[in-house]
Amino acid sequence: MDWRWDFTFDVVIPRLWEAAGVTVYATVASFLLALVGGLILMLLKTSKNRMVSFAVTEFIELIRATPLLVQIFFLFFLLPEVGITLPPLTSGIIAIALYNSTLCAEVYRAGLQAVPRGQWEAAMALNLSTYRTFRRIIIPQSLPPIVPALGNYLIAIFKETPLLSFVAVGEIMHASKLIGSEYYRFTEAVTIAGVFFLVMSLVSAQLVRLVETYLQRSIQR
Amino acid sequence: MAGRIIAVVALTAFLCGISFATFSELRIFLPAMLRGAVVTLQVSILSAVLFIVMSFLAGIAKDSGTRLVRWLAIGYIEVFRGTSLLVQLFWLYFVLPEFGIVLSPMMAGVLGVGLNFGAYGAEIVRGAMLAVPRGQQEASVALNLSDRACLIRIVIPQAVVVMIPGMTNLTIELIKATALVSAVTLVDITYASVQQNQLHYRTLEIFTITVMLYYCFAQFIRFGGSALEDRFSRHLRRGH
Amino acid sequence: MKGPKIRFEKVLKAYGELKVLEDLDFHVDENEVVAIIGPSGSGKTTVLRVLMTLEGIQGGTIFVGDEPLNVMRKGDRLVPANRAHVRRIRSKIGMVFQSFNLFPHMTALENCIEAPVQTKGLSKSEATAESLELLAMVGLTDKRDHYPSQLSGGQQQRVAIARALAMRPEILLFDEPTSALDPEMVGEVLNVIRDLARSGHYTILLVTHQMGFAREVSDRVCFFDGGVMVEEGAPDDIFGNPQNDRLRHFLSKILEAT
Repeated sequence: MDWRWDFTFDVVIPRLWEAAGVTVYATVASFLLALVGGLILMLLKTSKNRMVSFAVTEFIELIRATPLLVQIFFLFFLLPEVGITLPPLTSGIIAIALYNSTLCAEVYRAGLQAVPRGQWEAAMALNLSTYRTFRRIIIPQSLPPIVPALGNYLIAIFKETPLLSFVAVGEIMHASKLIGSEYYRFTEAVTIAGVFFLVMSLVSAQLVRLVETYLQRSIQR
Repeated sequence: MAGRIIAVVALTAFLCGISFATFSELRIFLPAMLRGAVVTLQVSILSAVLFIVMSFLAGIAKDSGTRLVRWLAIGYIEVFRGTSLLVQLFWLYFVLPEFGIVLSPMMAGVLGVGLNFGAYGAEIVRGAMLAVPRGQQEASVALNLSDRACLIRIVIPQAVVVMIPGMTNLTIELIKATALVSAVTLVDITYASVQQNQLHYRTLEIFTITVMLYYCFAQFIRFGGSALEDRFSRHLRRGH
Repeated sequence: MKGPKIRFEKVLKAYGELKVLEDLDFHVDENEVVAIIGPSGSGKTTVLRVLMTLEGIQGGTIFVGDEPLNVMRKGDRLVPANRAHVRRIRSKIGMVFQSFNLFPHMTALENCIEAPVQTKGLSKSEATAESLELLAMVGLTDKRDHYPSQLSGGQQQRVAIARALAMRPEILLFDEPTSALDPEMVGEVLNVIRDLARSGHYTILLVTHQMGFAREVSDRVCFFDGGVMVEEGAPDDIFGNPQNDRLRHFLSKILEAT
């Protein structure tokens, strides 16, 4: 095999660096949307209206049973047909966010369930308002399980962004594909992209672990 | 559970019937999509086998007494979990030839998906083995069982019960992940739908069928998983 | 006269700085029944665990019969024992645990035949015949096809005893065999152990909190405290005429509790 360092430094790294911005943007935007979407889905799922909660539950099932890539393609093709023209990056972000909001909804639900029943009852016995019960009692206790789980989804989303290359969004994977087909050299670009993802996810996994121990310690005090 | 599976099959059959009646173009694009579905099935089955084998190998090796074996397992797990599946597929198909190893698209797809999920499965296998109470190993020592007999006859049968739910979920994720194999030029169901869509512009119909197919695959795996769990945990239930 | 069946020579067992057994010299004669008593953390269970090779030792030598367990002769030198050596010696020892440790995925009978088939090369039918006799001896013939989860604690412990006997051991180790049992089930397990002790076929080491039972079945009682054997003697002497202050203190606390 031949690895060309000049090619790596002159072409690969600058172009991947540019594309990294798109990757980060897509990751953060999808994550924030998913946080909000997850909250909405969870509220709808636990709605008192049986029809609504049934429909949302099945919708979540369906989204989860289907590959994200299919959903990205679906939105990418469908939106223009119904008259909505969005750049591929935006429709891709919506697809990733939708997919992950079903996961976030589950995280929120599990986090709330982790708070023992007795806490609700104690709050009621103290005659706290619903707002205060959530703000002061429930949310502080459900954060330790929720935050690390969300952190892991942030990492997962980061690793899902290469799927956007299928609809020609210029993120890292797409950039390395382009470099490969322009210069007929895949080795450097694909390897550097791999190393980039490896380093980023190792570092961020470590960060999530730090946050996790910090939260655990803060609740035990 | 059996009721659910029948419902899913009936629903699919019904939807297929409706589609046949509604979309006259179905006859044009359905054969290509079915060919894609077969590729998806092939990749899924082969990579699922590799996934299970690698999960056990790496999961057991990660707690090995030999440092080299342990490090190999940790390296494998961290590398394959740290980089995206897509990157791995590209690497296997486009970069490995540089080292003189040329893989067919099918081999690259199966290897990529199987190895990637094996790294995730390893943690499930390992966790399940650690969940087997320490006393079971002590009893094996007291009965003079060899380490191998203890692993195969005592620890793994008990760990399997614990790992089935996690492995079922991962298998469903694996089937979904095979959607990426078009990166190595395989035409699976996902890519077949994209191709057919670009030819016929029937987004709603084509992708509804695709989504339903994946949904059915997932339900079948779920069904199989709980049947297995039932089978393996029968003796753990109290009473006669 | 034959040498002792089990012999500890200056055995040291430590977890880091903490010494659980300190230069322990200790022996058990062939077919002798020895009860080990003492407060928790005294190292009494550790004696059984190092003998069963569940844990290694940091110094000294353990002999089973004439052979060392933790070292072996190679030419005229002593080297750390290899796996084959340990397994050969270990096959003479059976152990019954406080928490039974039956294999939950196997029936009572399967629990008993597993080791003879796997390690002694018995055929399945031979092992089954022998194990059925043992299950009959512990009074559980009708439970042969039950899984542990379907048995009471006392029944599980009796299966565990049958399982240990199926290895045809010469030495039996009982590690607080009744401590995890509901009070009404203690008797059925003690009856089985009593029969084994009286049969005179086994060298038995029994760690227990059941002082009455220890006094009744054992030939000798050893009192451990702080990793040291403080006092040993005939049961009537230990319980009737204790010499050491720590033993007297221990016995008086036990009496208070009952």
